[in-house]
Parts: sequence; C-alpha cells; structure tokens
Amino acid sequence: MADLAAALGPGGAREEPLELAMYGKDAGVTRGRPGAVCFPRDAAGVAGAVRIARRHGVPIVPRGSGTGLAGGATPADGALVVSTTRLNRILAVDEHERTAWVEPGVLNLDLTRAVAHLGLHYAPDPSSQQACSIGGNVATNAGGPHCLASGVTSAHVLALDVVLPDGAEVRLGGLEPDTAGYDLRGCFVGSEGTMGIATRVAVRLSPDPPAVSTLLLEFASLDAAAATVGAVIAEGIVPAALEMMDAEITRAVEDYVGAGFPRDAAAILLVELDGRPGSVAADTAAVGELGRAHGARRVRVAADEAERALLWKGRKSAFGAIARIAPDYYLHDAVVPRTRLVDVLRTVYDVADTHALTMMNVFHAGDGNLHPLIVFDASEPGIWDRVASAGDAILRACIAAGGVLSGEHGIGLEKRDHMPLIFGPDDLAAQAGLRAAFDPDGRANPGKVLPEGSRCGEIAGAPEGTWI
Amino acid sequence: MTLPIDPVDLARCVDCGLCLPHCPTFRATGRESASPRGRIAAMRRVQAGEPVDEAFVSYMQECVQCRGCEAACPSGVPFGRLMEQTRQALRSTRRPRPPLVRRTLEWLAYRVVLPRPGLLVALSWVLIPLRRLPGLTGRTAGLRYRAESLMERLQADDDPDVHLFTGCVMDAWQRDTHRAALRIMRASGAHPGLPGPGAGCCGALQLHAGMDFDARRLARAVMRSLPGDDPIVVCSAGCGAMLKSYGELLETDAAHRFAARVRSFAEWLEEHGGPPLRDTGRTVVVQDPCHLNHVQKVAGSVRRVLAPAYRLVDLDDDGLCCGAGGAYSLTQPELAAAMRDRTLAAIRRAGGDGAVVASANPGCAMHLAAAGVDVRHPAELLEAALGASPDAGDGDAGESEHR
Amino acid sequence: MDLSTPSDLDELRDTIVAADTVDPTGAGTHAEVGGTPRGGRAVRVPAGVVAHDPGDLTVTVRAGTPVRDLDALLAEHGQMCALDPTDGSATVGGVLATGLSGWRRLRYGPVRDQVLEVRFVTADGTLVKGGGPTVKNVSGFDLPRLLVGSLGTLGVIVQATLRARPRPRGAAWATADGPPSGILARLHRPSCVTWDGSTVHVLAEGHPADVEAELDAAELTAAAGGPARPAGEHRGRISVRPRVIEPVAAELRRAGIAFLAEVGVGTVDVAGDDPSALVAARAVAEAHGGRLLRVAGAPGLDAFGTPPPGVEVMRRIKAAFDPDGRMAPGRMPFVEAAPAGAVAR
Repeated sequence: MADLAAALGPGGAREEPLELAMYGKDAGVTRGRPGAVCFPRDAAGVAGAVRIARRHGVPIVPRGSGTGLAGGATPADGALVVSTTRLNRILAVDEHERTAWVEPGVLNLDLTRAVAHLGLHYAPDPSSQQACSIGGNVATNAGGPHCLASGVTSAHVLALDVVLPDGAEVRLGGLEPDTAGYDLRGCFVGSEGTMGIATRVAVRLSPDPPAVSTLLLEFASLDAAAATVGAVIAEGIVPAALEMMDAEITRAVEDYVGAGFPRDAAAILLVELDGRPGSVAADTAAVGELGRAHGARRVRVAADEAERALLWKGRKSAFGAIARIAPDYYLHDAVVPRTRLVDVLRTVYDVADTHALTMMNVFHAGDGNLHPLIVFDASEPGIWDRVASAGDAILRACIAAGGVLSGEHGIGLEKRDHMPLIFGPDDLAAQAGLRAAFDPDGRANPGKVLPEGSRCGEIAGAPEGTWI
Repeated sequence: MTLPIDPVDLARCVDCGLCLPHCPTFRATGRESASPRGRIAAMRRVQAGEPVDEAFVSYMQECVQCRGCEAACPSGVPFGRLMEQTRQALRSTRRPRPPLVRRTLEWLAYRVVLPRPGLLVALSWVLIPLRRLPGLTGRTAGLRYRAESLMERLQADDDPDVHLFTGCVMDAWQRDTHRAALRIMRASGAHPGLPGPGAGCCGALQLHAGMDFDARRLARAVMRSLPGDDPIVVCSAGCGAMLKSYGELLETDAAHRFAARVRSFAEWLEEHGGPPLRDTGRTVVVQDPCHLNHVQKVAGSVRRVLAPAYRLVDLDDDGLCCGAGGAYSLTQPELAAAMRDRTLAAIRRAGGDGAVVASANPGCAMHLAAAGVDVRHPAELLEAALGASPDAGDGDAGESEHR
Repeated sequence: MDLSTPSDLDELRDTIVAADTVDPTGAGTHAEVGGTPRGGRAVRVPAGVVAHDPGDLTVTVRAGTPVRDLDALLAEHGQMCALDPTDGSATVGGVLATGLSGWRRLRYGPVRDQVLEVRFVTADGTLVKGGGPTVKNVSGFDLPRLLVGSLGTLGVIVQATLRARPRPRGAAWATADGPPSGILARLHRPSCVTWDGSTVHVLAEGHPADVEAELDAAELTAAAGGPARPAGEHRGRISVRPRVIEPVAAELRRAGIAFLAEVGVGTVDVAGDDPSALVAARAVAEAHGGRLLRVAGAPGLDAFGTPPPGVEVMRRIKAAFDPDGRMAPGRMPFVEAAPAGAVAR
C-alpha cells in the first residue's frame, strides 16, 4: 500500500474495508475480496501498479465501469484492483482516417458523442453503452444490437497499448492494417483482463449512415416472427439491427415506457435498416412485405427521428421494465444458429414451465443471440436453486442446438465452469497456453474464463440482476 | 445502528451501474464509493450490521443529492429518499460527530438564520462591505445583490390570483429576480400576491442535511403563509421541488393539496400563457438545475418560455450537477469545484467564453457566478425581452438593472 | 519435397507426429509469403464442405477447399464469403494461414473478421478447436484470430467455419482520375477504392439504387472491371496507416516502383523485376511508420523486416503450441526460439 501511494500519489490507492467491498463485484452475481484498489492516471501509473503487485505476489484485476455481467471484474481474494476510471481522456481523433486513440476509461457513449459532430460514431453499442467503458468493452469483446451488420468490438479495435502482467509495456496491432507476426491484438480483445491491462486503445470510427429506417412488426405467433427473420436474411437484406421481443416483455415495456408497442402481440420485431436513401426505402418496403407475407398483422415504420428514438427506448428499457415486475432477474447470453431459434425458444418456455418460473425473452434475433430472462423474487425460499437449475437447462439446450455460451457478455467467473460444455480438454489447454504466453505466472485476473485453477470467488447467494 | 431505510427500496438496486455516468461525484473522482451504486452498497453493509465508521459518513456526505441517478435508474431506486433517510440516521446517532465548529455553523445556518428571513436580510447588509475584503472575495463572488434591492420591498397586487413564494436566500440575495418574476406575471395578465406572515425557508436544506423535524416545522409555516387554492409560483428550483414534496413529507391531505398548487416559474408561465416578447436575437446557454430537471422534471418549460426571445443552446453534459447542491459547495468545496469545472467546460463548449447562462436555481446561479459565469434567471431574461422593456433597448441579453 | 495428402484426421495426426518437420501446404499460390520454408514434410489437408445452412449465414469447410469452389457453392444460395484471394485456386486454409486480405477489405474487413471457428492440429497431433460455429461468440480466448496469419507455425488448419454474407444485389467498378483524396470521403460504404498513381478505381456494391448513388456521389465513370495488381517477379505488400497512403504512393512513383494502393485500408501492393524494388519499397514504408511483407521473390530479403513489438509473447505462444519448432520452420522466423549456437533466421 505504501508502495502504491508512493507510485500513484495521495488518493491514487485506497484500502478502506467499506470501499474495498464495493470493488468485490461487478454487475454480475459473483463476489470476491480485493486487497486494495488503485486509480492510475496514465500508462506509467498502470505499469507501476502492476510491478508493485508483482513484487508483492498479489494478483491484479483490471476494472472499468463494473457493468460486466459475468463476474469478469470480480477480484481474486487479496487482489489489487486496477481501476481505469481516471484513464478517461480521448487522446486523438482523426476524422479522415476515422480512427481515435482513447484511454480505456472513456465511456462508450461519451466517445460516440465526442465524434458526433464529425458525422462519425463508435459502432459497438452494448445496452449499457452510457455507462460501460471502452476498456471494459475490449476486455469482454462487447457487442450490442447494431453489431449484427458491423461486428463486435474486435472488428473495431485497431491497436492497443498494454501493460503486460510482468509490467512491460507493448503495442499490439497498429493503425496500419497488417502487423507482422501473430495477431496479439486479436488475442487480447475478449481476454477479460487475463492478458494484461490496456492503457490506450485505437478504435475504428464508423460514418453515420445517410439514411435510417426503423420498423416495428407485430405478430400473432413467435413462429411467424422467426420465419420473418429468416425470410429477411434469405432475401439478402442485412439489417443494421434485428431485435425480437416476446409477448410478456412487450407488455411489460409498454406498461413501463409507453413506446406504442402492442399489448396483445405474441412477438414483435424491431428492424433497423441503414444506408443510402435508395436502398433504405426499398428494403423498408421489402421487409414490410416479407413480414406481411409471413403473418405480420401490422407493420409500423417510424415516421421521424422522435418515433425511432421512442421505439429504441422501448427496446432498451426492457430490463427496467422487468425490474418493476419482480425484484430480481437472471439471464443468459447464449447464441444459437439462427435457424434453430424457434426450437430453442420452445425449449426455453418448457424449462420455465417445468421450473414454475416466469420467463421473458428479448434478444438479438438477427444473429441468434438469445437472452432468456428469468424473473423472480429472491426472497422466496429455495428459488435460487430453481433459477440456477433452469439456467443450466437453458444453456444446455442452446448448446445442444449448436450454440455457444456467450455472445457478448463474456465468460468471466460465472460461466467458466460451463466451458467444458463446448470445449474439450485439448481446446481448453490450447487457450490456457495462449493465456500463459501473456501471463506466465498467472497473475492477471486469475481464475477467469478457463475452468482450471483454484476458485477465487464464490457465487453470491442470489443473482442480483442484469441487462442485455 | 440500523438505517431507517425501507429494505425493499434498498433491494431494488441491482448493481447494474447505469447510474455511474450520471453521478457528478463519480465523474469527478472515478471512485465507486462516490457513486450511487457504491453508496447503496455501503448502506447495505451498515443495514446488515457493520459499524458506521468515518469512511461511511464521508461517502454519504460526498453525495450532492442531485438525483441525477434516479432519472438514469432502470429499476426505479428512490435514491434521494435513501440518502435523506441515511442522513437523518447519521444526524441522530452520536458518533462519529462532526467537529464543533461545523456543528455550530450548521446550527446557526439551518436553525437560526434560514428560518428567519428578516435575520438573513440583516446579515446580508453586514455582508455587503465584508464581501469586498481581500481573502473573502473568492468565496463571496457569487453574492451580487445590491443594497438598493435589499431596501426596496416587493409589492403584492390586491386581490391576487396567484402567489409568488419568496423563501429565504433568494429573498435576500436575488430579490431582483423576484421583482422580474412579478413583472412578467403582471405582464401576463396575472395578479401576483406574496406570502403572508411567518413564511420563510422551505426546509429543503434542513431535509437534505437529515434534519427532518426542522424541515417539517418549516413546511407547516410555509403552508400557513400561503392559504387558499391559487397557484404558488417558485423561482428557485430547489425550493419548488421541496414545496412539491410537502405531501410526502407531512403526509396530510392539506399538504398534498398544497403541493398540487406549486409550479416552477416557467412551468406556471407556460400553463398560464406568457407576455408578448420580442426576439432579442441573443444566444443563451440553458443550464438545468437538478431539482428542476431530475426532481420536478420540468426543465423543458424553461426552454419553451425562453424560445420566442432567445436562441437556446443546451449543454452536452447530460445534465450533470454543477456542484452547487444547496450547502454542498460549502461542505465539500473540492468536489464542488471539480464538478463546477466540468460544467464550466460544457458551458464553454456550448456558448464560448462570455456565454450568458440561464439558470432557474439560486444555488446554481451563485455557484457558477462565483466562477465568473454570467448567469441570469429565466425571469430576468424574459423581463429583458418584454416588448416595452426600457432597460432592454440595446438588445443585450437580460442586462438587468442591478448589475 | 515430400507431399502427403492425408485423407482423414488420424492419418494427418500420424503424419505430423511422424514427420521431422512439417510444412503445411495449400494450393501453393502464396508459398513464399512470410519466409522460405526450410524443407519439411509438406502436408495438404482435404477439401470439402462440411456444413452450410444458408439461413445461418455460416459455412463450414475443410481447409483444403479451394476458395473458388466455396464461392461457387455459396453463389448457388445467393451468398458469398469475403476472402477474395488473388488466385481462386488458393485454399481456405492457405488464405487463413497467410492472412492476406483481398479486394473488398474496406467494406467487409480483414480475413480475421471472416473466421468464426477454426480447427487445427498441433505438432503433437492434438486436434484443437477454437471459437464457435455461430455468427456471434465471445466464449473463450480468440484462437481463430491467433491462427489467421500464423503461417502454419502453430499447427495445420484442418477446418474452418466462416461468415457467409448475402451476395450483393448490385456491383459495379468505376473510375476517376486521381488523386484519391476526397473520393473516399464522398462514398458511404464502398467495397474497394484503389489508386495506382494515375487512376482511382472504385467498387460499389449493394442495392442497385445505392450502387448508382455511390457512383454519382463521387462523379465516377463506369468501368468494365477492376484494376490489375502490379506484376513482377518480386512482389510485396506494404502496410501503412491509411492517412499516409498518398505520400507513400507518391514516393513509390518517384522510385519507379509499380504499385496499387488500397485507399482507406492502407495496404499497397508493389512489384518489380528486380529485388531492389522491394528494398526501396520497404524503405518508403518504414519511413512512414509502416512495413513491407515480402510476398514473392527477392529471396535474400527478410520476409518481414523489423520484428514487431511483442515478439517475446509471440515466442512464448509458439513454444506453447510447438515446443520443438517442428511446424513450418523458416516461416515467421522471429518467433522461433534461438537455440544456442544456431541462427534463427
């Protein structure tokens, strides 16, 4: 602690027990007990903190805004939490090259706002984008509704200056398109803090589309909605976003924000198309036609920006709406092949029935990223066992359908023990080898992602909620 | 100790963190302990039996109570209420006690001066020469009232159909704003009256400091001073929010009926219909006081009443608190200054150096003015745009007589 | 050179384990990229489509599948895969291993963004799977990106699941007189913009209405086809940040080196009849903070030039997957351990 204070200055490191408890968890359900937390202001401060931790044999855990859902920022006991909240400067923006260098603590939405006057934006848009940091996005390889067309974080990160777990500083990737050797940048993105701490991130900025159109399609059955999704894809249209909400969640959202969603639809689709005006007009008409051909009882096209914003507000308020129905909710983030959506959804509802739980679904239908959501009251005795068991059954159903564990939230601590469901021992050993190349001593965020190693935190008594 | 907090309220927080960017103290420090999520975590631990230590007290005192987090919270956590209840509990426990000097100053301010507008005005006379003293100028830069204004009483109309609430600090230090408000109200065809005897402080500062008993006593006095059923217009966003909350505070039918009469100045003007204005062609940067924006949720009305006369520019800072926060700028000067720096940068981005800023709260106005910002109340800006306004002839935005 | 073409996984494993050193081989279209192999048993894996459900927008193929065949299959379903090698006979595994991007990187991203899951066999005969078969996946560390561009030094890629996309409903090449600055800014989502020193070529794809709008927006003239990559026995690819592409092009032109720059991407293909052209081109690239990868010819020229940062980490990765240095020795020489008394490159 004295070393940290000397390296980072007064207030640069803290160890009050009450404050440390706040760094014991992120927005997920796991909890640990850090030994200290520090707030470096530059790369040298990060490197200094990492070296001090190494000298004292203490693991390090990087932390952005703490909005992660999989416990990626849950510290190993006694670990030094390295907070990036004071590394929050936008260092350079090149509007012609459409790139920006930012520090990891810059918030996702703050970056987009800072470049909006240039007609640019940062494409990955997790639902927590107002609060989550670019560094955290890099760690989890975060997604968002608009990643359907534009790809998740790894497609938008060009270069990283990182402090490796041994304290060395190195640049991974570059603004030039190809760098020599292995794609260490690609390995680092999504490594959930196990390969070091990014101190500067170069991101690709995307031009704002000249035209945008948002449609709301209402269906009397889930199958009709899913069939429409398939038809849109088959038509060769790749929407900017393609979101589905089931009856329960649609009603809940409408009660909450009044976005004009139908209270009696079995499912709705929210489809966004962007591009030049010609294709947007043509595709808007085409999606409407396809919807009607597959049983949409109503197709509503947002008439203006205000209506468009209202529709998205409805979608993004889904979790707030749920929070008002029951105090707790729990969700998974599995991805299934798009063609298996309906089958898997049926299983999900069956699981809910057999476990006597309320289940709602709001998800990224375009890329098959499901977010089955269990709504419950944690004060009900024995409920957590039912919730956990239902969650496990859902995950297994998704994987049986050819899916994966996580589409955008990451594995962290929460899902690491599920990794053997999709990876064999040799696959996991290869991933461990890659991680060890960055962190031979296992000091960086130990116990995350891979099931090997000692457990460093316990699952808290009850899940405390989350969002997509 | 246990905090007198509804466990259901406390359980509503799901740790999602969406409040963090909307919390000015988290933005200023980057510390979880200076965020709503962290403060709730701390409350939970105390609720679960952990001792109240100095760290806990300081985390609670660092909150500016702007309630920006409430607007951002998807789970509807009533954070303002949680914080008020926590502070009540802290105030009623004996340990750890704040230093004597601070306790004395708080006693003087909350219990002696603020409830007695006459005393405050008298003190303000004393302050006029003092504020020019070297060493005090920095701290009193926001106090720009003039002696003539203090001398001249506000005039009520006979047979009023609406009342202007005058309060304590505003009556002493920003009486010209009330004068402008009365003029606008009259120009709109209304006949404004003033509070009767016994009216004084609304009690907001006491409530935020955890002195709920004092707050209720003051609330009852305010209600007695404003009988009837005509609208009550409040120029201070903080006082307006407080008056509107009397129903929940006193839990009586009379208090709920009283609260339903309360309107912020611009809100009333919009409902009633304002006076004819001329387009000044000037630009004004709109600063949203937290208690207008997050609590009363009527910040839009300021824009709508000013729009005919001014070109309005919004700040791009998500309505983050400027750091004034009632007495906050005095109790937490460092944090308040850091928060103000952020607001000042946003003002510069929006309107450049020398921008005229509209603010509907006396605390924000004084806090920002102390940093050299040209802040006007919407009432003053409107007065300067009245068609027949003699002092607005040069078109200078709201160059009102007292400056 | 021995070439073995195992027909199943067990045979491949046996071959790899039994061989002294292994040289993973595709169609041989880019055999010299990234270093000259120091012999070894050449191994070529089979071709064939494993799975393709058009509705999932994914396709899984054996790594020996020629890209041309993959493209033909996808075309039947109105789909495509944005690999775009210069020679369609190149195999999927070869394109992944070299990581060289094709024409349409500006719009669809580099090779690594097309790969969802990869299966490869390491030096000890272990089959490893990385990534997953869905279009979106963040489960576990990103082995697919590690393998793309690894030049066979970590293992033999045997199978890959790739992102399939709808085939654009319209496409057109068009040209304008240079220089390219300004043209890119007027286009919304071009697939390719090149500059060869005299002509700008643009490929617009998408809805026919958009294609037309793109060409109008930048005042382009319709063209029959795209530009030619520069020809020559000695070829290389420069990689510089996009903002310096015009000064780099100007210097190449002054030096008399044939080039084709991808505007907005930052790659510049260069070629010459003499190895000195690549030496000069590398000097230009490095002067602008970039680098040159030797693609073919110039045998005396180091394949990569200055080793990149992070070489220590790369060496540890190499050691984790191939501790004895038996996979593709000679390629990506800077990751090879330097045994006492031996010279690594």
